[in-house]
Amino acid sequence: MFRSISSLLISAAVVALPAAAVAQAADTAPPDAPFAKVSELVTLPDFLPGLGTLYVDPATLPAGPFLGYDRDGRLSATIYMIPLEALAGGTAHDDLGVGAQTVTSTDIYYNAGHPGVEVPHAHVVLYHDADAKTRLAE
Amino acid sequence: MRMSCFTTMRMPRRGWPNDMDRRTVLTGCAAFALALAAALRGVGAAQAALIEMRGSPRGERVWFAPIGLAVAPGATVRFVNRDDGNSHTATTYHPDILDRPLRIPPAAEPWDSGLLLPGEEYSVTLTAPGVYDIYCQPHEMAGMIARIVLGTPQDGGWQGPVTGKGDLPGPALAMFPSVERILDAGAVMPETGGQP
Repeated sequence: MFRSISSLLISAAVVALPAAAVAQAADTAPPDAPFAKVSELVTLPDFLPGLGTLYVDPATLPAGPFLGYDRDGRLSATIYMIPLEALAGGTAHDDLGVGAQTVTSTDIYYNAGHPGVEVPHAHVVLYHDADAKTRLAE
Repeated sequence: MRMSCFTTMRMPRRGWPNDMDRRTVLTGCAAFALALAAALRGVGAAQAALIEMRGSPRGERVWFAPIGLAVAPGATVRFVNRDDGNSHTATTYHPDILDRPLRIPPAAEPWDSGLLLPGEEYSVTLTAPGVYDIYCQPHEMAGMIARIVLGTPQDGGWQGPVTGKGDLPGPALAMFPSVERILDAGAVMPETGGQP
């Protein structure tokens, strides 16, 4: 029985590997490929107030995860950008990766659009430590 | 204003040494009157009118400020991105740019600023009288449009506003101020009052 539970946990860990892999590659900027700097993919500022310096795997657009780094290159947030019309039309976003396992708070708010995700969408911002929001603000 | 012009002319008249000086002053006064007339119609040809691109800190709202502007033929319009967290364009509705409907005078050249990063700017000089409808490419669906009125309906070659919807999204169509309101106010600010 105990062995079965262990096997189950190991299986669960393997299933969760994509998220863990993101975390291992992402503590400090720049994260490993396939992540790329958003400001080099589209015309946006290097540092976006509130989100930080963003990296994303282009294959995961538009939802992400986007990894947000503070001005010292420390991973501070994982961000998802969820187009609202598509969501209302039935698009689901399951099993999205996270940049770090620790999440201290979450902000969700509307965004009118920007280069890269030009339709109205929601920003879902997972902060990875208590000071992250302050560091990403400016 | 005209009264003050003549007053200024007359008061020092006793001190004028000759007719040449008086002609110089008269010419200057006439030029002032012409400049004033141009200013009353909007921004004159020698001035650069400013339209800012703005957004709320989290990007919930984006807008041009002003959203409607009256200028005189020959005026230069300057677009400046004042939004720290976003990029914007000033793009004319024109078939030559992204195959969009024509919403500028047919005699006018279309333009597209390209994406402007925060602090960047773009200027264009307008000469064909009429109504110019423009939009921000990544934010048209959010209603980020502006209308420039060049001259007045009395100007030769004037082209009024396009009334058809074309392929414009509803949020964009809903934002255009009327030509009458723009001409009356000179500049129409968005409902945000230009503030985040």
